[in-house]
Amino acid sequence: MSAEERFAGGERAVNGEPVVRVRNLHKWFGRLHVLRGVDLDVAEREVVVIIGRSGSGKSTFLRCINFLEEPSAGEVAVAGISIPAGHRGRELNRDLLKLRMRTGMVFQEFNLFPHMTVLENVSEGPVTVKRIPRAEAVRMGEHFLAKVGLLDKRDEYPIRLSSGQKQRVAIARALCMEPRVMLFDEPTSALDPELTGEVLDVMRQLARDGMTMLVVTHEMGFARDVADRVIFMEDGIFVEQGPPDVIFRRPQDPRTQRFLQRVLD
Amino acid sequence: MVPGAVRPVDVADAAWGERQLLVQARQRRVRQLQLFAVWLGIIVLVAGVLVRFNLDVGFMTTWGWFILSRGVPTTLGVSLASITFATVLALIGSLMRISRSPILSGIASFYVSLFRGTPLLVQIYIIYIGLPQLGIVLPAIFAGVLALSLNYGAYMTEIFRAGIQSIGHGQREAALSLGMTPQQTFRRIIWPQAVRLIIPPIGNEFVAMLKDSSLVSVMGIWELTFTATKSGRPRFKNMEALLIAAAAYWVLTALFSTIQSLIESRLGKAHER
Repeated sequence: MSAEERFAGGERAVNGEPVVRVRNLHKWFGRLHVLRGVDLDVAEREVVVIIGRSGSGKSTFLRCINFLEEPSAGEVAVAGISIPAGHRGRELNRDLLKLRMRTGMVFQEFNLFPHMTVLENVSEGPVTVKRIPRAEAVRMGEHFLAKVGLLDKRDEYPIRLSSGQKQRVAIARALCMEPRVMLFDEPTSALDPELTGEVLDVMRQLARDGMTMLVVTHEMGFARDVADRVIFMEDGIFVEQGPPDVIFRRPQDPRTQRFLQRVLD
Repeated sequence: MVPGAVRPVDVADAAWGERQLLVQARQRRVRQLQLFAVWLGIIVLVAGVLVRFNLDVGFMTTWGWFILSRGVPTTLGVSLASITFATVLALIGSLMRISRSPILSGIASFYVSLFRGTPLLVQIYIIYIGLPQLGIVLPAIFAGVLALSLNYGAYMTEIFRAGIQSIGHGQREAALSLGMTPQQTFRRIIWPQAVRLIIPPIGNEFVAMLKDSSLVSVMGIWELTFTATKSGRPRFKNMEALLIAAAAYWVLTALFSTIQSLIESRLGKAHER
């Protein structure tokens, strides 16, 4: 499927409510102003890739969406659940859990649970969070393990997996919660170089299946091939965004041009 | 055994590696023999000194049984009860210590500081002969278990806290990102991993407690030390009685150290390779 077709898919869903809606997001770490008022709408089935130098705030932005990082100001909504920054009461805490259930996250360092087998890792969420009967959760787990091509590893412990396999299990674990959007925080940065391909392939397939995705990555090839929209971030703001063809071929902002010049050759 | 496809140079290498393993195994055996010889030498020396005491073997056989049968169960019982309560205290204490509430964390850090900063013997005296001034009179055995539990609970609070906090931040984030509550995250993800780290030091604490339980002898509890001094002193056979008690402690601690290292190696093996 070409980028144009995928973008059309995104276009179609724009009519509906965006899956992710971020308004005027700020984040301070002490006196460091890491996010300086960021707005973002991600449509159903859209794949958005955020690029930029390390320290530009990409990961912090992603982590603010499911409140692993508490935003300092602004508002985040995922799948209709809207949570403002700042202190929360009981009601909003319930919303927070709901928001996280609908938001899958894949970490740079995998963070698989080492005391659980692969199958237990992926079925843990459905069993503990969604209270789905174990037998059904196991069926779901097996389904998503098959999807990432690791069903034969179901009874292994994570320590016996390669880094690429670990990350694919981590993707399956997030998918098992049947999230409305998947957040990828530099999913290939901790991989052995020859293993990035297998993880990117799984992500490509996911995009083809229509998953809404928000990806922070240094993989420019992936951004060019898979993204409906590429966002260049620097100093805590979105400098420039658009379809990959535009961003990679005709970047308007000099900061984007400088960055791309450095990473593309 | 060697498949045809393997080239001679590989065979040579394999044989060389195997020889190295054999050499290393022999070196380990020699080392063990050396250690054993040193121990044997020391034991002979000590035995030589002990002979000079003209130890009363008759006393040791007749009263030895009494000291062991009366003392060992009490020492073990007090230690087991205390380590159990101390573990519960440590679990509560460590959770309070890492809680975000300043009140809970403050109480826990105060408890740890106080009970680690004062001698166990003084704590025993305060509970046993200090509290009665307030009208609180505890039976000796309760006072002993209470003092040991509170004291070891304080040390173990820190062990538990370190174990819990050593579980990487990513584990917590992964669990939270699935939508788990902080409580579920602790119960399902953090605690099961922390336990593997905590159990070996608990074994250490138990071995130390076996010996520290001798301090409760000051309250007249018939554990090993008290039984030994009670049996030896009126008959002027202190050395005989104390040697029996010391030997009993040594055997007990060696036994539990062995059990502990077995548990440790089993825990270490789980989930690996």
